[in-house]
Amino acid sequence: MAGNPNLTRLLEHPAIWRGRTAARRHGLPSGFAALDAYLPDRGWPRSGLIEILVARFGSGELRLLLPALSALTRAATARWCVWVAPPLLPFAPALVAHGMVLERVAVVGGARPLWAFEQTLGSGACDAALAWEARPKLRELRRLQLAAERGHALGVLFRPRRAAAQSSVAVLRLGLEPLAAGVRLTLLKGRSARRDTLELTWPADGAA
Amino acid sequence: MPPRLIQVIAPPVSAPPAAPAGATLRSVEPAAAGSRSAAELWAGVHLAAAAQEGWLERLAGAAQRFTPRVSLLPPDGLLLEVRGSLHLFGGVTGLRAALDAECRQRSLTARIAFAPTPLAALAAARAGQELVISDPAQLTGRLAALPLGVLRWPEETLARLARMGVRTIGAVLRLPRAGFARRFGVAQLATLDELTGRAPQRLPAFRARERFRRRRDLLSELTRHELLHAALAPLFTALDAFLRARQCAVVELECRLLHRHAAPTRCVLPLAAPAADGARLHALCGEYLSRQQLPEPVRACELRATALVPQRPVARSLWQPGEHGGDEQAAGGDLIERLRARLGAAAVHGLVLREGHRPENTWALAAPPAAGPQPRAAPVAPPRSARRRPLWILPTPQPLAVQGGLPCRGGALRLLGELERIETGWWDGADIARDYYAAVDLQGVRLWVFRERGAPHGWFLHGIFG
Repeated sequence: MAGNPNLTRLLEHPAIWRGRTAARRHGLPSGFAALDAYLPDRGWPRSGLIEILVARFGSGELRLLLPALSALTRAATARWCVWVAPPLLPFAPALVAHGMVLERVAVVGGARPLWAFEQTLGSGACDAALAWEARPKLRELRRLQLAAERGHALGVLFRPRRAAAQSSVAVLRLGLEPLAAGVRLTLLKGRSARRDTLELTWPADGAA
Repeated sequence: MPPRLIQVIAPPVSAPPAAPAGATLRSVEPAAAGSRSAAELWAGVHLAAAAQEGWLERLAGAAQRFTPRVSLLPPDGLLLEVRGSLHLFGGVTGLRAALDAECRQRSLTARIAFAPTPLAALAAARAGQELVISDPAQLTGRLAALPLGVLRWPEETLARLARMGVRTIGAVLRLPRAGFARRFGVAQLATLDELTGRAPQRLPAFRARERFRRRRDLLSELTRHELLHAALAPLFTALDAFLRARQCAVVELECRLLHRHAAPTRCVLPLAAPAADGARLHALCGEYLSRQQLPEPVRACELRATALVPQRPVARSLWQPGEHGGDEQAAGGDLIERLRARLGAAAVHGLVLREGHRPENTWALAAPPAAGPQPRAAPVAPPRSARRRPLWILPTPQPLAVQGGLPCRGGALRLLGELERIETGWWDGADIARDYYAAVDLQGVRLWVFRERGAPHGWFLHGIFG
């Protein structure tokens, strides 16, 4: 196989990945060294849809993403970071304390969160978009995934834990449970063969 | 044989007081007036009664069919350069009749005079003498009898001249230039030069206010939004061409859908920034239309843009939005506008920090910047304690049930760490006195709860550490 140049070239195509020796891509640093080592691309994917499955809202899922989101908003060529129909309002002082630039944050409410989520992801005007949706249809998930790749945006969809049984087109699925001072992560789907869990502890910087 | 080059050295026209002291105003006139003014013939229109606001502009707009060179002299004067168009309207007589008809159509009475210089034409019209002076050599002679009041000089100047016995234009033109300039000012002398054609008069050209209005009658009555959206496409193509030709942009666009019986459905697109791209406006209009309830099928649609603003076209980026180095700023504004169009303006927010110590007033929702994400400008620094604050906040604190002295939410909460006391705001009536705790519920979710220090000592949920 190694001697076949055509096959080698074909396998270098970024759209093709193989379980164990997936093409090394540079993900978005998550801000936690242990998590970077755990995630398939050594960080969050830079574009595409990811799902985070939590048993309860507020289990630490936002804290997990916040360092990466903050780094995105601080970049010189930062685009929007859009929160689509969050269940509660993000507390601006705490976001700023975690390094987020509020000028790049937009909160979208309204009656049609999935439509807004897809528009946002596909617009090419946002770096990351977050959405909370209990039961999107598979067709809608596929549209979201395509929109995220088209717009080069990271789409994060928060779903309840029971959605783990359903199939998904997301590039990455993580299960998340709260711990005393951190979270336990389970890689449910990803371009990696790992299926172990990761216990992540928040840095002791006073953030309770 | 090569043509001989003749260089004409002319005295600068902008230095009238330099004339010899003994020369009179009149004596130097014919030489200067000859070459320039012969080519021009001005029609001065003086409205007998000052027209109402806007009427003069409308008359000027109508007068643009006679000549492209139309100028306004508010409140009651209108000037047209008509030399080139005389033969099209039957000479001076025909043109006068046509202009008069335009005025009478608007119930305005006007005096019209013709002269080689604009001010002379207007002065004659103001004096009520409908002169026709086509030969520049006769200009000063025919103007001589006009009273000085038609020049609209200050009352004080006119009174001083009257005391000197100077009451007509002819008399003032006989005065020595240098002495006149010294006593009455250079501005008045310049007026006289403009009157006689010695110096050109600069007149701002009248430009009619432009607006866009197109209507399209539909072949069949439409009810479906998608078909309606498609039917609007030619109007937006026309709008795009209209704006591009004038290098203008619209700030507000109105789309009217006309029905058989019901009142027209109006759909006003308030744009965050001036827009000139027809395709983008079309898409935006589609978003607005999709929210409209149509009372009846649509028979015709109309597009109106009244407020046009000049716009400098910007170079487009080579990259598409979203590609590396793409035009994020423009795409960012687009995204917010599209979301607002579909979801309503109130559905899209930005966040800002406020100076304050109560959790409720340290932040606020704000309109997101229209032109896309802005580079940050001198932010309000959050208090040092903000890192210990939750990431989610409830708009209003939610009361918690109490069991055995402890708050509970699906089970008793476990309080963590030490309390943080926030007791402030006594000066504006919304004072709070609360002891905040971090707490964990049975599922391990961290909550931000507080206990009121006041009488009922109730427990409330105020945030979730996410």
